[in-house]
Amino acid sequence: MTVPLSKTIVLWIFVVAVLVLVSAPTVVILGASFTSGNIITFPPEGFSLKWYEKIATSRDLWDAFLRSVYVSAICTIVAIPVGTLAGIALAKYTIRFEKSVQIYLLLPFTIPLIGSGIGLMLIFGEARLLGQLWPVGLACCVINLPFMIWAVTASASSLDPDLELAAASCGAPPLSTFVHVTLPAVMPGVISGSLLMFILALNEFLVSLLLTDARIVTLPVQIYNSIRSIITPDLAAISVVFIACAALAIILLDRLVGLEIFLKSK
Amino acid sequence: MRVAKSAYPLTWRIMDALEAFAGFVWPARFGRAIPWLMLAPALLLVGLLVLGLWQIGDASLRTLDTSTFLMSESYTLANYRRAFTESLFAVVAWRSLVGSLIVTILCLLLAFPYAYVMVRTSSPMIRKLLLIALFLPFFIGQVVRAYGWLIILGNQGMVNEVLGLVGIAPIRLLYNYWAVLFGLVQYMLPFAVLMLAPALTAIPEELEAAAGSLGAGWVRTFRHIVLPLARPGLVGAGLVVLTLSLTDFAMPAILGGGSQDFIANAIYDQFFRTSDQGLGSTLALLLVAVGSLLVGLVFTLFGAGTLAMAGARR
Repeated sequence: MTVPLSKTIVLWIFVVAVLVLVSAPTVVILGASFTSGNIITFPPEGFSLKWYEKIATSRDLWDAFLRSVYVSAICTIVAIPVGTLAGIALAKYTIRFEKSVQIYLLLPFTIPLIGSGIGLMLIFGEARLLGQLWPVGLACCVINLPFMIWAVTASASSLDPDLELAAASCGAPPLSTFVHVTLPAVMPGVISGSLLMFILALNEFLVSLLLTDARIVTLPVQIYNSIRSIITPDLAAISVVFIACAALAIILLDRLVGLEIFLKSK
Repeated sequence: MRVAKSAYPLTWRIMDALEAFAGFVWPARFGRAIPWLMLAPALLLVGLLVLGLWQIGDASLRTLDTSTFLMSESYTLANYRRAFTESLFAVVAWRSLVGSLIVTILCLLLAFPYAYVMVRTSSPMIRKLLLIALFLPFFIGQVVRAYGWLIILGNQGMVNEVLGLVGIAPIRLLYNYWAVLFGLVQYMLPFAVLMLAPALTAIPEELEAAAGSLGAGWVRTFRHIVLPLARPGLVGAGLVVLTLSLTDFAMPAILGGGSQDFIANAIYDQFFRTSDQGLGSTLALLLVAVGSLLVGLVFTLFGAGTLAMAGARR
């Protein structure tokens, strides 16, 4: 079937508009980070790596980055077992009150982030946990948990229940069946889910802003605090770290499960 | 003996031991509780949020004593009265609500053709490219993207520099309402497209071909075939964009520069500027209520769309 030219043109006008909108900040930050000037100008003032040298020696930024990585690691480590078990349970078993359980587990998405953040801030404050980093990781895990459960249920529902029965009828006890049949089947979901959890926690801003104080800011909060005062190219250079992490996550996701998985209809 | 040993490797022995242990602590007749046991950690984690809401509810009923800066011991509804009567909050709420509606409409308008092309293109290369272009900003985070727009739109930013080259005086592009909405639209686009794409994948291409062979132009096919069938996706995407932009903090804070506060910014200010936990909690609770109401309303009007978590499987 030939596609009418007018359709192609109209559709692609929109596509290009969206492409420009979503890519412009990334491209501009990449460009700005290589400037040799002291302020960001356009056209750029020549090429240099001096801002990268500057961030490499800046303790503040490095510490903030490492704190972000630590928070993301906590988030992912908690999310993997919790989300995997819940996802398998939801996909495999018929549970009483399943509908209510699902609605309950979607709460992190339906409660606005500012509400979740303030609520966690109040209970962590009450428990005297504020001022530490691991509660921030836990908080990031809670607010993004549906992503993990989603990813796991998606791959668990494509697992044929007969496979598990077959394993059992071959004499495999329940735990072996779980480890050798069920777990490998949901692995793609676990991998894509934990990648999502890690990268989202790395970028998490509002909850970090609420739960950290000046001594333990994570990198997004540090950048936020700095752009409120003055915009210098070293921020562009540190932002490139985020862009690099995002690119790495995309490559991994594509290699391990394929990006096209997100186009599939359920 | 040696043969038997290698035929029964260590890992099997470990599994046997674990199996026996599992059988001991969890006999088969407890089987019906297994799914609940597997769900328990997730239920507990999400329980933190419920506990948080409870705390917010509690704090919202206490007022701030301005002489001692302590919260009152007794419960009162004074904060709710203030939240509903003070005009500042009405202005902020109206601004956020109108803004998020505009953002939702623009976002769906832009995202729909993009998702359509991404799903329907015959070239795997283009599809992958379009996907990467979506995931990159999605994974970069709001603050960094807002920073990019500061570079582009700032008073000495790219746009104004270019305008300067052709002799036009700098325009103040940032720190106004439209800058915030613009930032929100580009922030929400990946969400919208990724929510729409599965719904579009589910529409068989043959239907469009059939409409075409019956003489419908592509615009008519779009209006009468693709759009109605994509409704679950449109509902899901619209809902996500609406609630996320209604409750967003970073874009109004960074691109609005403090003059274009949304509800989340007002809540933050109550906690960290005025230190009025009570009023802040009241506003937060009202926002949660409005958010849930919106979700419920859209669900009852249009069905759960693509948001139903694995609900429609099997």
